Amino acid sequence: MADPAATADVQDFVKFCVPLTGFTAFDLYATDMAGAYLDTARRQVGPERFDTFWTAWKQAVTGGGGPQDLAPTHREVARALVYLWYTGAWPRLAPAAHADLRREQANTEFVVAPEAYVEGLVWRTFHGHPSGAKPPGFGTWGVRPPAPPEVEELRAGLGVRDVAYRTGLDAEVSPEDIPAHLLPGFRSGRHVPPSEVPVATVPGTIEEGRV
Amino acid sequence: MTEHVTADAAARRRYDIVIVGAGWAGSALAQRLGDKGWQVLVLEAGNGDTDTWPGFLDTLSTFRSAVAKVPNSAYRPNAAAPSPNVLDLAPVRNPRPGEPEFTAGGYFVQNGPLPYGTDYLRALGGTAMHWLGAVPRMRDEDFETRTRYGYGRDWPIGAAELQPWYAEAERLLGAAGHGQEQYDLGVVHDSRYEYPMQEIPRSYIDRYCKEAVEGEVITDPVAERDYTLTLYGLPQARNSTPNPRYRTDPPFRVRGAVGLPNFGERCVGNASCVPICPVQAKSLPLRIQAAFPRSVTVANRCVVTRVRRSGERSVSGVEYRTYTDPASPVSRSYVVEADVVVLAAHAIENARLLLFSELANGSGQVGRNLMDHPTVLSWALGAESKGPVGPFRGPGHTSGWEVFRFGEGRRRRAPFRIEIGNWGWGWATGAPMSNVATALGIGGDEHGEVRPDGVFGPELRRLLGSSVGRQLQLQLAVEQPADPGNRVTLDGRHRDAMGNPRPVITYDLSEHVRDGALAARAVAGEIFRRMGADDFTNHAPRDGVPPLGHFVHKGTDLAYSGAGHGAGTHIMGSDPATSVVDADQKTHEFDNLYAVGCGSMASVGTSNPTLTMMALALRSAERIHDSLATARRPVVIRTPDTTEATA
Ligand SMILES: Cc1cc2nc3c(=O)[nH]c(=O)nc-3n(C[C@H](O)[C@H](O)[C@H](O)COP(=O)(O)OP(=O)(O)OC[C@H]3O[C@@H](n4cnc5c(N)ncnc54)[C@H](O)[C@@H]3O)c2cc1C
Ligand code: SF4
Repeated sequence: MADPAATADVQDFVKFCVPLTGFTAFDLYATDMAGAYLDTARRQVGPERFDTFWTAWKQAVTGGGGPQDLAPTHREVARALVYLWYTGAWPRLAPAAHADLRREQANTEFVVAPEAYVEGLVWRTFHGHPSGAKPPGFGTWGVRPPAPPEVEELRAGLGVRDVAYRTGLDAEVSPEDIPAHLLPGFRSGRHVPPSEVPVATVPGTIEEGRV
Repeated sequence: MTEHVTADAAARRRYDIVIVGAGWAGSALAQRLGDKGWQVLVLEAGNGDTDTWPGFLDTLSTFRSAVAKVPNSAYRPNAAAPSPNVLDLAPVRNPRPGEPEFTAGGYFVQNGPLPYGTDYLRALGGTAMHWLGAVPRMRDEDFETRTRYGYGRDWPIGAAELQPWYAEAERLLGAAGHGQEQYDLGVVHDSRYEYPMQEIPRSYIDRYCKEAVEGEVITDPVAERDYTLTLYGLPQARNSTPNPRYRTDPPFRVRGAVGLPNFGERCVGNASCVPICPVQAKSLPLRIQAAFPRSVTVANRCVVTRVRRSGERSVSGVEYRTYTDPASPVSRSYVVEADVVVLAAHAIENARLLLFSELANGSGQVGRNLMDHPTVLSWALGAESKGPVGPFRGPGHTSGWEVFRFGEGRRRRAPFRIEIGNWGWGWATGAPMSNVATALGIGGDEHGEVRPDGVFGPELRRLLGSSVGRQLQLQLAVEQPADPGNRVTLDGRHRDAMGNPRPVITYDLSEHVRDGALAARAVAGEIFRRMGADDFTNHAPRDGVPPLGHFVHKGTDLAYSGAGHGAGTHIMGSDPATSVVDADQKTHEFDNLYAVGCGSMASVGTSNPTLTMMALALRSAERIHDSLATARRPVVIRTPDTTEATA
């Protein structure tokens, strides 16, 4: 679907954000944030560099590929875009990508707008709602949440190709056995923005709490 | 909305009572004493923006825009009346052995071995603007740990004396709870006690935990004792459903949002009680203020700087300064007189005021015995086969395991309360945002290069469904007893923008507390194991950076966070040589100077302190009334009506 009220740029942006985010165009439009996110990404990456990235991503998708076809810096931009859709914030980039893009902005995380936080998609991945908004009602927290939809079901619903939506990993991550480095670890303090939190350590590898 | 007067207008009159601070304690005292007809002035250092609905909405937006959604993130900084912030602390990379592993900026100066990682808020309504609203009572033994278990300090009054005041505080705060269960736990003495509101529904996480480990016997390796797990609901000051069995004389009326009628009368599950409940279903002092009688006057932006002494055993009032622009305070000074002065400015601010005024410190205990509930986090992923647990829903926590709080184990280690968290790994790891970042692989590796591994699109969505959806977190709140070495002092070199001395904090955890933290962590690990959950807890330094609150105890890396429960700084006792206030919270040295709040508590047990503090405040209000009435006999009590006529 495309929102007829949206500009051609935004329509194009949403269309190719579907495979990147795993949410339908309907979901993405419903956030009412698409235009703001496109602006943010252009400003953060630089308009020309963003165009180059965007062309590369579209080529990958139309050529039957996925994120693994992107060069490292473009991969990082793709990640930032997904982070933006999922949380409403622009993250801190890998310093190498930041340097490669010759960004003039400070490389720190910021929330795009109060509404952006509220529209973050991450909450929907686990049948939640943003903390402090869209309250589901008295007592709803006592109800057992449904299981997350399987990848096959999601792919079908999105109408995306049967390609790997992952980089650097041989196989789809098994929910039974999630590698620690895809999980967040302990923050050294509350000042650490979410995109700078270190990855988790494998349970039990550090002598800790066993007395 | 409460009527507020300017600093100028406030100083033009004489009052029966001046109260410093409009948080829970100050608001409760003002209401009670105002209702008795006394002329009360409340001086509040902070801004009063949140008591109108547009002002409150602005606060909500500030919270939503914040990257670090810490307790103070919803409230604008105020240089004239600064607040400490948990963001003021930073860890030191590769600290030298024996040196502090942190640095502190911001309002507090910290010179102790460990960080005091607790904040408060100086704005109308006080710290409660971002409290959670957990209101468990303390049990009898918590008031006499010295006698029973050989550590800490005993109170001059006990649980029995406080029972009616607890009930009164539960009414004023609007508590929802399960009376029978709290009786079984031993904290409520009356077997037929009912809370004003029915218990807040328990979370699915509570049910999940209960089904997994109820009745399991866990060995505490430090206390060397076995404990049987029984899950208890948590009494909370947030709106649920009025309890039809609650006493009807007078009836209990649910109060919702201030500034917006018919709103917030029931918790709707926003799951952000800290730092802000968007609908104000969480109880706030603003509610009490909105119902202040006419005899109570509130003046915002009035920073009290000193208490004035007038005689051997009396004080005459306070000095305060006002400001117009919170960013660059240029202030004017005023004096106001009253028959009674009540400090209700928070434990640390009360101590600061007494120290700076050089009053009531014959015992040398002012500022000492600073306490908190050092909180050790433990986090795990539930088994995939058991499905998602439903994190980030409902109030911060709704149940806990209480058995480690009581009994002989306390001789060997500090007791602890296990809160079952409803908000996933949020506190420990910054989830769910940080889950998105780490699953994508954003931010680079240790060399700053773009990371190879990451998932996108449908695979990301599926992964987060499990990696966030199964998050369990236990918050282990350890009792910290009064320890004179943990203290607030002043140092003329460190001042805030208005020129007031900043609190200098010296803080550490005793061996007994560290043993409690170690036991708590071991117990949490064992609970996760029995639940079949993968325990991801790791408090060790990473890449040379120790987490804040890190320490190694008996070979184990541990870390604690502050709980926001500042207490003990004007400690209560019957002996003027060793304590600051008596059981009425009157300073031993002055007949008309009171210091109220958690600062008076001789111990905090493992209960969040506000309910006990409020019970004490209501009791003190009664005593202040009695003392004023006695002094004025024959007394013509001024009613709100006559006040209006003369005003
Ligand atoms: C994150 C967090 C969560 C918490 N959750 C809970 C919980 O679930 N349960 C619980 O029991 N407790 C909880 N607490 C603790 C609770 O918030 C406090 O115990 C309680 O709010 C203290 O009330 P108070 O009135 O004594 O002090 P405060 O609320 O701090 O009020 C003091 C007031 O005095 C004003 N003031 C300060 N200095 C001056 C001055 N010089 N002149 C004039 N005015 C001044 C301040 O602006 C403020 O309005 C929590 C605390 C935090 C930080
Ligand atoms: S769960 Fe939500 S509605 Fe309920 S008290 Fe907390 S923030 Fe308010």
